[in-house]
Amino acid sequence: MTALLEMDGVFTAYDKADVLQGVSLVVEAGRITCLLGSNGSGKSTLVRSILGLTPARAGRIVFNGDDITKLPTHKIIAAGIACIPEGRKVFPKLTVEENLRAGAYQESSDKVTQTRMAEIFETFPRLAERRAQLAGTMSGGEQAMVSIGRGLMCAPKLLLIDEPSLGLSPLFVKENFNIIREINARGITVLLVEQNVHQTLAISHYGFVLSKGRVATSGTPAELADRTEVREAYFG
Amino acid sequence: MDLGLFAQYTMNGLMLGMMYALVAVGFTLFFGVLDVIKFSHGDVLTVGSFTALATFVGLSALGLHSNWLALLAMLVVATLAMAFLGMLIARYLVMPLRSAPPLNTLLITLMLGTVLRECVRLFYPQGANPKPFPALLPRASVDIGEFNLRLDNVLMLSAGVLVIVGLQYLLNRTKLGLAIRAVAQDEETARTMGINFTGIVLITFALGSGLAAFAGVMNGLYYNEINFGIGLYLGVIGFAAAIIGGLGSIYGAILGGFLFAGLQTVGTVLLPFASAYKDVFAFAVVIAIMAWRPTGLIREKISERV
Repeated sequence: MTALLEMDGVFTAYDKADVLQGVSLVVEAGRITCLLGSNGSGKSTLVRSILGLTPARAGRIVFNGDDITKLPTHKIIAAGIACIPEGRKVFPKLTVEENLRAGAYQESSDKVTQTRMAEIFETFPRLAERRAQLAGTMSGGEQAMVSIGRGLMCAPKLLLIDEPSLGLSPLFVKENFNIIREINARGITVLLVEQNVHQTLAISHYGFVLSKGRVATSGTPAELADRTEVREAYFG
Repeated sequence: MDLGLFAQYTMNGLMLGMMYALVAVGFTLFFGVLDVIKFSHGDVLTVGSFTALATFVGLSALGLHSNWLALLAMLVVATLAMAFLGMLIARYLVMPLRSAPPLNTLLITLMLGTVLRECVRLFYPQGANPKPFPALLPRASVDIGEFNLRLDNVLMLSAGVLVIVGLQYLLNRTKLGLAIRAVAQDEETARTMGINFTGIVLITFALGSGLAAFAGVMNGLYYNEINFGIGLYLGVIGFAAAIIGGLGSIYGAILGGFLFAGLQTVGTVLLPFASAYKDVFAFAVVIAIMAWRPTGLIREKISERV
């Protein structure tokens, strides 16, 4: 197994207070790696550090062999990382099609963009029906499809998925996990940030538990399910 | 009122409305991508029209006597120079202030506007006096009853329509436009799509400032005179137009520009003492509209925050 993403002793701060306090973790190529942790453990900050939205203060983030720690966000995306952000964050006043096109912003060939969009429409026929609708006027579940589709439009090597079940109906949450497994089966490495422990561990190959800005423990889902740190991280 | 006179007033109103709309669009574009009011926008227009005039003077001195070529050169030089100036202002004055309260940006650009205006007044030869602006468009006209339809007005109006249609096309049908709209709606998510935020902001400021230069040349051709204060006046009107339209909405800004010109025209026609009170009337109505619809006629950006 080769590491696609490696974080080594990463410190990230907002206004001088360190939220990440020396996080080291490895996301292996081809797998679903999950990141568990309660609210305030630093999961979102970790995602922001990888994306360069809140660059790391110290430490190294290496993606596909290149140091991306201090790169501006658009160059990190160009390196092959995409994100399905927390809260879906569709562009409300762009149509479904425009949202998808925004996802393929760095793809210069219109033909490739069209092909990928056709694939997304095949996966989510509902989006094809509503391609001209403004994304802001859609239901939460439909917006989740737009957000997932948009994240896939750049054909990333690594897809960061931040809290995908937040605010969705239980039925769609289940569907969501199936989709994530399917995305991974197509060869895309996934870093999944979730609060929903059981379903997350069920589809992951490996997991890290974040607590107070540090990696508290890590292991395979079977190992993690028994660890007290996991229980403590959520209920402790 | 006689039909010919009515047509005359309508034509004048459309000409003014086009200039106001072009200025208002700039305000709304800047607000869209950075959520700031750039108050020096009007004075960039002034610098743009003086740049055009200087280009004309320079070309005449070199012995160029083709009106069309001169006009083309003036438009290209003024638009590109102001686009560049807009980028400089965005890069070195507006963007560094992003973490400061928006009021600071307003203040800084207000002061920059004064600096630009005073520079024109002090450094352009006899800049304190109104300068004649060459009438470069053909002056042919036809009389339809009392209505004197001038070819130059028709040409300017058509050029303005083309520019606005072009802008709409750029914003709604191109990848650059998609990026500008995405940044305007959600800066951070736009960045995670791989959009170069700083680049898009600079391009947007270049675009808005280029439009101001175009409006400045149009203003010069229309009145055949420019002075260092035109930008301040057009800036206040353009800002008002952008606000009535609902800041952040392109359609709103265009609508606001024409609405303001319509109000001025109505003021000219209805009030005694001819045009002296047209601005008082128009701004009074704007105040009334703002009292009635505090977020503007087309609600775009502000309503999302309430």
